[in-house]
Parts: sequence; C-alpha cells; structure tokens
Amino acid sequence: MSPAFRRRFRHHRGAVIVALPKEESEALREFLAQLRKMMIDDADPALRRLKPPARPDDEESEIEYREMIDDDLLKGRLEAIDIVESGIDGTKLDEEGVAAWMQSLNCLRLVLGERLEVEGIDTESLDDSTPLVGLYHWLAWLLEQLVEAAMPGLDTDD
Amino acid sequence: MTAPTISPTTVTDEESVTDLDKPWKVIVWDDPINLMSYVTFVFRKIFGYSKTKADRLMMEVHTTGKAVVATGLREKAELDVFRLHEHGLWATMEHDS
Repeated sequence: MSPAFRRRFRHHRGAVIVALPKEESEALREFLAQLRKMMIDDADPALRRLKPPARPDDEESEIEYREMIDDDLLKGRLEAIDIVESGIDGTKLDEEGVAAWMQSLNCLRLVLGERLEVEGIDTESLDDSTPLVGLYHWLAWLLEQLVEAAMPGLDTDD
Repeated sequence: MTAPTISPTTVTDEESVTDLDKPWKVIVWDDPINLMSYVTFVFRKIFGYSKTKADRLMMEVHTTGKAVVATGLREKAELDVFRLHEHGLWATMEHDS
C-alpha cells in the first residue's frame, strides 16, 4: 500500500502503534518545537484557545482558577510534547503515550485553527492550496486516526 | 497525566452555604475546532461514560451549542474543568439554579 494511505496509528493488542512516514515525523517535530517555544513565551494571541475561561461569570474566581491551574496546564503540555518527540520515529503507546499524542496534536490544531480564524480563512473548505489549511487538515486526519486506534483501549462499555 | 494541585481556598460563610445547597454544573461549549470523535473520546475517558452517552452529549454540544456534562461539588467540578481544559475543550463551571 502506498505510504499516503497507510494508517499512521493502529490498534494492536491493547496498545497503539505509531508509524509516521519520515517526512511527516520531521514536520511534526518542527511544529512541536514551535509550539513548545510559543507556550513558554506565552505571548502569542493564538494561544487563547489553550486557556479557555472556567468562570466567565465571575472575574475573581476566574483569576483564582488561572492561578491554580495555569502552571500545571503548561507543565503537562510540555511533558506531553517531550513524550511525543521521544517516540516520533515510531513507537508503541500506552495510555499515557496516547494522552500525550492526543493532547499535542490537538494543541497544534487549536493554535492553528485560532490563527486561521483570526485571519478569516475558512477551515471548512477543502481548499488545501493555502499551506496552513493543508496542515490543519493533516493534523485533523492524524488525530481522527489516533482516536479510532485508541477507542478500543477505553474500558467503558459500548 | 498530572492532576492540579488544588490548594485550600478561603471560603466565606455565604459561599459555603451556597456550596452545600447547590451542586455545580460543568458545561462544555461548542467550538469550531475540536473534532467530534475526539470530543466523544474525551468524555468517555474523563467521565467513564458509555459510547452512547458520550455520543449523545457530544451531539448536544454540537447541535445546541452546549451541554452539562457533569455535576457535583465545587472541587470535583474544578477538577473536571481542569481535565477538560487539559484536553483542549472549552469548559466552564457554574452554580446550578
């Protein structure tokens, strides 16, 4: 099967196998490095979606909530990126690994989606001629596959 | 996965009475970015909901703009909101009325 159609994530005996083609793992590594820097700098408005308000009705409680969780949120996300990077060339994911990959892929989508929205680019269109839209769809495609591959690992009943 | 360190907060009398009287609602809001399959997955993972229940809540968010995904005491609601935020979902909490 041509690499373009081969699954990047598949379920195998309770784990999720990651197999990205080299050009995709290299691209992802580059984007994750950018995301890490962006999150540490904490200045880009596109980060807005990574920190939605918990208490929009109550300013004081919102400040309390942010003080309580923002450091943990950032720490967890940076750790997730580290985990993804360590297995980016191919690995078998346990539950923690699945969570790290999902969160990192989703963080990239959220930041990118926010940027596209701010720039007024329609992400629903299938016009991949805008490179960022192509990237956005690629991330969605990866995340969909990961969700599907990880679904059997959930221990809830259907 | 890390859990938030929930430090003890000063609770006024008025607040503690309210806390006892009314549970908190954890609400997830529709957003144009998160994938539907991903949202269902997150509901199942965080709350242990069945696929049917998680799908129903996800569709409620998608079609009506929001859904109450859990209720409980303040600290539990804060933890739920934190975990939803950790997964990139747009979650808020408010008092039941």
